[in-house]
Amino acid sequence: MIRFEKRESTSTSLKILIPTVSIILGILIGAVAILLKGINPIKVYQALLIGAYSSKYTFSETLVAATPLILISAGLIVVFKMNFWNIGAYGQYIMGAIFSSYFAIFWSPHIPKVIMLTVMVIAGMVGGALWAIIPALLKAYWEVNEVISTLLLNYIALFVLKFLMYGTWRDPLSHGFPLSKPFPNNAQLPRIIPHTRVNLGLIFGIIAVFVVWYLLKKTKFGYEIRVIGENPNAARYAGMNVAKNIIIAMIISGALAGLAGMVQVSGIIHLLQIKINPDYGYTAIIVAWLAYLDPIVASFFAVFLGGLASGAYQIQITMQVPFGIVGVIESAILFVLIGSEIFMRYRLVFDVGKKKHSGQEETL
Amino acid sequence: MAEYILQARNITKKFPGVLANDHINFDLKKGEIHTILGENGAGKSTLMNILDGIYYPNEGEIYINGKKANIRSPFDSMRYGIGMIHQHFMLVDTLTVLENVILGLKDQSFFINKKQIADKIIEISDKYKFDLKPFAKIWQLSVGEQQRVEIVKMLFRGADILILDEPTAVLTPQESEALFEILKKMKSEGKSIIFISHKLNEVMEISDRITVLRKGKVIGTVNKEETNPVELAKMMVGREVLFRLQRKPLERGEEVLKVENVEAYNDRGIKVLNKIGFTVHKGEIFGLAGVAGNGQKELAQVITGLRKATSGKVFLLGKDITNQHPLVIANSGTNYIPPDRLKVGLIPNLSSIDNAILRRYRKNPIGSGILVNYKKAREYTESLIEKFNIMVPRIDAPVKLLSGGNMQKLLLAREISENPALLIAVHPTRGLDIGATEFIRKKLLEVRDSGMAVLLISEDLDEILMISDRIGVIYEGRITGIMDAKDADVHKIGLLMAGSTEEESATVH
Repeated sequence: MIRFEKRESTSTSLKILIPTVSIILGILIGAVAILLKGINPIKVYQALLIGAYSSKYTFSETLVAATPLILISAGLIVVFKMNFWNIGAYGQYIMGAIFSSYFAIFWSPHIPKVIMLTVMVIAGMVGGALWAIIPALLKAYWEVNEVISTLLLNYIALFVLKFLMYGTWRDPLSHGFPLSKPFPNNAQLPRIIPHTRVNLGLIFGIIAVFVVWYLLKKTKFGYEIRVIGENPNAARYAGMNVAKNIIIAMIISGALAGLAGMVQVSGIIHLLQIKINPDYGYTAIIVAWLAYLDPIVASFFAVFLGGLASGAYQIQITMQVPFGIVGVIESAILFVLIGSEIFMRYRLVFDVGKKKHSGQEETL
Repeated sequence: MAEYILQARNITKKFPGVLANDHINFDLKKGEIHTILGENGAGKSTLMNILDGIYYPNEGEIYINGKKANIRSPFDSMRYGIGMIHQHFMLVDTLTVLENVILGLKDQSFFINKKQIADKIIEISDKYKFDLKPFAKIWQLSVGEQQRVEIVKMLFRGADILILDEPTAVLTPQESEALFEILKKMKSEGKSIIFISHKLNEVMEISDRITVLRKGKVIGTVNKEETNPVELAKMMVGREVLFRLQRKPLERGEEVLKVENVEAYNDRGIKVLNKIGFTVHKGEIFGLAGVAGNGQKELAQVITGLRKATSGKVFLLGKDITNQHPLVIANSGTNYIPPDRLKVGLIPNLSSIDNAILRRYRKNPIGSGILVNYKKAREYTESLIEKFNIMVPRIDAPVKLLSGGNMQKLLLAREISENPALLIAVHPTRGLDIGATEFIRKKLLEVRDSGMAVLLISEDLDEILMISDRIGVIYEGRITGIMDAKDADVHKIGLLMAGSTEEESATVH
């Protein structure tokens, strides 16, 4: 008979083994999908690695893709630590992009760059935070399940974006395409590596990682988050304000997702459009989990998954493998990762022929 | 042996560290109501779960109608005609009575003949005067009606033996009366009933025979006519010679806690505190005895601000703290050892440090500004570990790796180190081994000697008698008597625990 037995503690080796196995299985499942297209998966993965990490330029593109993942996952870690499942980084990212774009589109191009960018950063964070406060309030005061409310708000955010892009925010010179007018130079984040698209957003990401790390490890807020996440009864018993902490944590999480949206439009796309890659909001969930909610470890996984995405752009062109393959690999990784949670908490026990009772029984 | 419908022989069930059932023998006659009486942790529920197939015993046999039965699951027990009604109902709120009754039955065809089933439910309902409508939704029913649905569910499945696990715990007195009528009616129809309880007055009203369990063993089986509540109480709590721990003579000081006419409701919306009032003074241990579920847990929650009092007042050192925020109450000098260390008192997955500073992280020097000074926190934790002799694998290891005794020591250390005016300790030694139990009791006496007021709430009568200075007895949310510990004895307290007032118990003496 095989049965599960509760583990007393989780070994560190398991914490390394499970993400590794998840990634390998994700890649294998991706390989099956590639094989179905009749292409040699080994060659595809070779090309993917080359496309992601081989040259200065390709690696810079990996960093470009990693930047929003670093920002968003840092924020998600804060709320995930308290067992609040924010699936809404997607929508918070869009709102951040919209709020910051307002100033790029409607304010004068002659405002000094420092002022313009500061305003846009704040606006992006406020936009994301406002979108995140809604489910936080619903949860804190009416116990509305946050998975559903954050997820549904994603669609609303997307339709707000579509509404603006087909409506008043569309550039009259765009020939009917749903694009805003290009951001003037004063609304573009400066690049920090010449001849690449790596911009100030990466620095924001690194700062965010250390701020979150500090918050969680050193502050009273971080302590309360840990206690609430692990045992809300004990938190109430100790007089902690659970509702207040949910709201603060969601403000942080939403603000960082919003900032990621701002970085994307201001640092990469240089205009607002419908396609601004909000899927980073979902990929960042995988990043946070692969890292077991450690913000510093998460930034390395962000580079890994960012590489997967930027490499996939290459193989799409050179090998005719659709970009969607990255989605398959990512989801397979998350699937295996979450499925393996059971091994973190339980161990498999095989008892062969062990008699658990005495005496002979008469069966019915 | 046809007289017996069910016989359990030498049932033994071990759990890690606990012998829950120790060679238990138990017989159920056809058409009788047989009560299993015992304190919490005596092994009643374990035995019933074995009969219902939820647990499988390590040793022993069960015979149904004289034939050996192999019960491995509730499905098996159903086939033997055993139906268990759990204390917490196993009903789906959003479904109808009918849907709940047939839930899990395997012999239904794909298209369910609701008319036929409804008729059968009404037939059962009429026979026992249940007054149930098959198409009513469960959430629309009162608790008493929901319980009747559970009974119908079992009768529908052809149960001849009904096990009711503390059925009155969730009922109002009127609903309990109605239940007893139903049970008597079922008895007259030839059903056999096992009734689990620790409320002596109920037991005396409903039972034909009574089997008393204590610490996993059968103490005896008696006919109702040949016994009385005093004897039952004695059997239930034991007759060991009690010794009192060393202590300084009582220096009863000023009044620290005053509870005045407090009323409160439990999570199920039943009133569990009924104008309760008492005081606890500086330098004394006030032991509150009582059978589980008479409002003890809720009382502690009301005093500490974790539950709202609907009327009445709580004073701490003369200051009104009724319904204040838990933090305000804690800061005005109350600390609390909750009954369930893993669910409330501690955070099992966090380290000893994180657990030790739960009351201190806001205050200097561990808390400074918005930060927690983990260096100071570690030093503080180390000092607690040393002072209270707590065994931890590593100071950073999650506290769930500690033994129960060491967990409780950490919790106690954390709470009494705040040096409060009032310490509330609820079941402080439940589930602990003898060494840890003794350590905790000595510590409670130590803080009492140092002038703290201690409110000790416990179901362990030995514990209450051993360390209290005064003893109060709680029954159905009110105090049935308060006495000096030196005037107390098991008989008197047992009677008060069963609901008789102090005058009544005095006349029995």
